[in-house]
Amino acid sequence: MSEHVIEVGKRHIKEINEEMQEAAAAGKKIRVVNTLSRHNLGIGLPDGAELYFEGSTGYFCGGLNTGATIEVERNTGWALGEGMSKGYITIGGYAGMSCGAAMIGGTIHVKGDTGPRCGVAMKGGNIVVEGKIGYQSGFMAHSGKIIALGGAGESCADALWQGEVWTAGPIDSLGVDVEVIEPTAEEVAEVDAILDPLGLKDTSREWRKMVSGQRLWYFESRDASAWLMI
Amino acid sequence: MCGIAGRILSAPGRLGRDLVDLMDAQEHRGADSTGFAIYGVPRDSGYVLRGMGFDKSQIDANLTDFTNVLRDHGSDFLSDPSILTDNNDHYCFRMEISDPKNLDAWVKDVDTLTDRIEVQSCGRALEIIKDMGGSAEVADKHGVREMIGSHGLGHARLATESSVLPNASHPFWARPFSDTAIVHNGQITDYFTQREQLQRQGYRFLTENDSELIAVWVSDQMKQGLSMQQALTKSITSIDGVFTFMIATTDGIGFAKDRFAMKPLVVIDQDGGLAAATEEQAVRRVFADECDVINHDGPSLTGTWGIGNRSMAA
Repeated sequence: MSEHVIEVGKRHIKEINEEMQEAAAAGKKIRVVNTLSRHNLGIGLPDGAELYFEGSTGYFCGGLNTGATIEVERNTGWALGEGMSKGYITIGGYAGMSCGAAMIGGTIHVKGDTGPRCGVAMKGGNIVVEGKIGYQSGFMAHSGKIIALGGAGESCADALWQGEVWTAGPIDSLGVDVEVIEPTAEEVAEVDAILDPLGLKDTSREWRKMVSGQRLWYFESRDASAWLMI
Repeated sequence: MCGIAGRILSAPGRLGRDLVDLMDAQEHRGADSTGFAIYGVPRDSGYVLRGMGFDKSQIDANLTDFTNVLRDHGSDFLSDPSILTDNNDHYCFRMEISDPKNLDAWVKDVDTLTDRIEVQSCGRALEIIKDMGGSAEVADKHGVREMIGSHGLGHARLATESSVLPNASHPFWARPFSDTAIVHNGQITDYFTQREQLQRQGYRFLTENDSELIAVWVSDQMKQGLSMQQALTKSITSIDGVFTFMIATTDGIGFAKDRFAMKPLVVIDQDGGLAAATEEQAVRRVFADECDVINHDGPSLTGTWGIGNRSMAA
């Protein structure tokens, strides 16, 4: 597969994304240089596209991904992979707030930490974080898994729906309506199957799995204790 | 959704140019108005004033009234005022004045003219330049790129809670505290309650902009004996809303982020210089090479960055 190099610099983002689409359609691997942490790079890329960003990217990198494999050398800004449905995104460093927001499929792998609300309102797919997930991560996640090897920040898994937050590290504090449960061996095997292709499987980990307490699912306005949860 | 920025140079220099770059990269966050707070060479005595008049056909009459108030307080111009006009109704001014006998009393009296002419910054070192339009437009009009200084702030405004008017632009001066300025991204939800409490203490507000309130609130806390760091920490639990703000004095810049972590702040601190902004792509305009950024993404964060020896005075 030949390589196509795209310079970002001060060029118009629409023009850059169009060049990415054309190079992907031609079956070329794409290397993006001089990224300057700019926003909206690599949006809506198709199945089979392969991109490597040198340096860092800004907001919404890899948003609406429909199957591309995207790697960012260093950090990325807010809303990485928002709304993605398929594919892989790998971040070499830190991912800002709302990483994987509303994603419905695919895998995001962050080698550093994430900012607040990682996986907010996600509806599927997996987010693997080697470091720690930030404040209120997993907020209202409807489905999918957030797997944080290094621990979780405050108010973790607040108002979770049917999503799952897993960690092998410390939890600073739990959000509302969250239960921490011991996962079954089958569930751990499922998580290991996600980590294995990333080279992160370690059977010695002691997992904790956070799921919804389901009290907010059936909120009863006349129940004073339910109000106190919020 | 406003864009804010702070810049500390490792040594005094072309601060204006850097602040314009920081704001140019964030113009998409709000181009209603743009403003800059620049800390230049501090003077031993006298103040620099920046401000606006609202009817350029009345410049002479306004200046006569302004001069009379100044002289009533034992002060006078140290040089001829600079007046800048264009196609807009409002005009902008820069003045150098000798020390009034009592700064607070003079500010109170000059504020009686604010329906016609308004002082928007007063400092030994501070000058606030703000106007309608994007960063390049404001910078070109006011010669911001050529301004030198040690540190400063920038703001791109998308008006949400108050009017799009020249004097509602940021940064705001913490009236009547000299040399204190603020930029803010967010909304204060207990604005009127807080404003009423401060007004009962005698503070005056010239706009209904919540940023003006935060500047005075923090300055009042410092007047009561708190350090800037202590005041910023207290602001997290005392002020309600979603916010990230930066407040500057002659000693440096402080920041605070609310309990809900809704507004970003990204910092590069390298080689004795520092750039902070809402977006990473802005700080990379100043530090062009790939270097480490600090993402202050979490809730309830505060901090101070000093100039010179890089620690803020207590």
